[in-house]
Amino acid sequence: MVNSAINIAADSVDSWLGEHANTALPGGGVPWLQAQRSAALAQFEQVGLPGVRDEQWRYTNLRALKSKLYTLNTANPGQDVSLPDSEANRLVFVDGHYRADLSSPGTVAEGIIVGSLGMLLDQQAEVLEPWFGGCLPAEPHGFTALNTAYCQDGFVLVLPSNAVLEEVLEVLFVSSSAQDSTNRISHSRNLVVAGANSQCRIVERHIGADGAVYLNNSVTEIHAADNAHVDHYKLQQEAEEAFHMGAVFIKQGGHATVKSHNIALSGLVTRNDINCYLLGQGGHVEMNGLVIGHGRRHVDNHTEVNHAVPHCTSDEYYKSILDDHSRSVFRGRIIVAQDAQQTNADQQNNNLLLSKDAEADTKPQLEIYADDVKCSHGATVGQLDPKSMFYLRSRGIDAASAKALLTFAFANEVIERIQLESIRQELTHIIAGHLLSGLEELL
Amino acid sequence: MLKVTDLHVSVFGTPILKGLNLEVKAGEVHAIMGPNGSGKSTLSNVVAGREGYEVTQGSIEYMGKDLTELEPDERACEGIFLAFQYPVEIPGVSNMAMLKAALNSIRKYRGEAEITAGEFLKMIKQKAELVEMKQEFLKRSVNAGFSGGEKKRNEILQMAMLEPTLALLDETDSGLDIDALKTVSDGVNALRSPERAMIVVTHYQRLLEYIVPDQVHVLADGKIVKSGDKSLALELEEKGYGWIENEFQEAS
Repeated sequence: MVNSAINIAADSVDSWLGEHANTALPGGGVPWLQAQRSAALAQFEQVGLPGVRDEQWRYTNLRALKSKLYTLNTANPGQDVSLPDSEANRLVFVDGHYRADLSSPGTVAEGIIVGSLGMLLDQQAEVLEPWFGGCLPAEPHGFTALNTAYCQDGFVLVLPSNAVLEEVLEVLFVSSSAQDSTNRISHSRNLVVAGANSQCRIVERHIGADGAVYLNNSVTEIHAADNAHVDHYKLQQEAEEAFHMGAVFIKQGGHATVKSHNIALSGLVTRNDINCYLLGQGGHVEMNGLVIGHGRRHVDNHTEVNHAVPHCTSDEYYKSILDDHSRSVFRGRIIVAQDAQQTNADQQNNNLLLSKDAEADTKPQLEIYADDVKCSHGATVGQLDPKSMFYLRSRGIDAASAKALLTFAFANEVIERIQLESIRQELTHIIAGHLLSGLEELL
Repeated sequence: MLKVTDLHVSVFGTPILKGLNLEVKAGEVHAIMGPNGSGKSTLSNVVAGREGYEVTQGSIEYMGKDLTELEPDERACEGIFLAFQYPVEIPGVSNMAMLKAALNSIRKYRGEAEITAGEFLKMIKQKAELVEMKQEFLKRSVNAGFSGGEKKRNEILQMAMLEPTLALLDETDSGLDIDALKTVSDGVNALRSPERAMIVVTHYQRLLEYIVPDQVHVLADGKIVKSGDKSLALELEEKGYGWIENEFQEAS
């Protein structure tokens, strides 16, 4: 097993640019990918890693992330890892590399492609060429640029027109604890191409070894053609000291429906950029998010919905529950272009502070250039309602249980929006267990 | 069962009750009437233990215990129930979940075993019929989007489920039409028993046609100024509260 690695210090631009990385990484012989990698590197040289001076990062301090040294595995280390049990059709990636030995992709209908980016680049790179990088914003930030430059692997799902992926596809990204003194960095790059009238459900789950310190820099692109239905679940269950920099970039055609669920349960510093471009009339995007913050956790969710054409709808619902010294940042940008008449956009961001040291920063940002639209937004930061507390306590429920029940109820309004029964149950279990042991039996 | 002696209560610093005396025995139903602002709701809230209601003088003794020493949830576990004048909406917590949590919490406090899922379902189905509440309401979030009448009915359902020893009904009739008033009253009457006492707080005599009290007390300016049997309520209906207030002022 070849274990070539590049050591990089996050705070120095030069040291990111390992000269041999380009050829060691997958797709070394694929010219269009090489061109994208080089362009991304050039862009990174210009912009570097974001800092608090960047308006879009001003509430997120990356000092802890930048102070560490990371190792990028360019080849698959193939180490032993323990995985949670699953009955699902599952692709497993460890430290950014596909592990066929741990995966059980299942059988799919003819014409559907499910596999790893590395495999597809070797075998049928031409399938990826029209799509790879196509959902990225015009000026991606430094982490996205690094992902393009250094991506090791990731999952690919391609659905031809009218194809239906019957089973849920679960993709598990595992970060291991490094065997040496450095920290792992992985850049996974994922691609979903859903043809016209196709349908799929994807669960992207990020986990890490207990106590591991690592940087997981993940980018997922979703192309949903006319009338396609894509449900994307992103569950972040990273190790407590880990850094998660993630992005989900979506482009939708006419009458396509995409539902993005972004659930951040653990990790030290998390940033998610979830962007959607509604490019065909009748498109609908739903964005649901839930942040559970405790300790010194920091979660920064940046969402952006671009209404480019008329008659599209967007429905955004983000919540955070913050305890201890945790902090959440939410920016919700909605852009309604001049042509995008009859747009219906709704955005809600509600934050519950359970501790006097917790902090929520919320920034709705509506840019409306059309005149016949319905856009609404609301942002709240608050504590548990004393009237509700007294009501529950007057029924005999003790203060701690009443607090847990009301906190759970707050989270449950996001969980209830999840269609996938197994995920809904799992989240209920995790969050109820986190709030109060025994709460689950009450529900 | 309940003995209130020379009770003075301030609500967020403002004196509301000014020397109230009341004794309620097991099996009795007492009606507390009085004009707006006389302190009727304050009495029920202070017995239930609402935050901000400070006892500055006097005592509240319940089953031989000093109630003011207990937290609101401990009072509920001891058998006190308040049917709210304005029931709170709690989105995200279903009626079933709240009632199960409440029942088990009370059972735990009393050293009893938790209720099984089967027992609970049977019980709630039976009690829901008592107040003519549709099954679908049980799964809905507590009071969220309920009409005024549905909220009050839900209060009585909770009371039926928790089987209190002392029930305080705070203006349960306000906002109810005649049909809802009958349903709610039938529910309350079904719960009357020799072991249970009730305090019915109301502004109008109308409710007392359905829930017939053993004693009626009139509250004015933070004190009980007149007590009598159910005929006192009828007299009040006829003459209005002005009569009592005048009589009270003349006496003092």
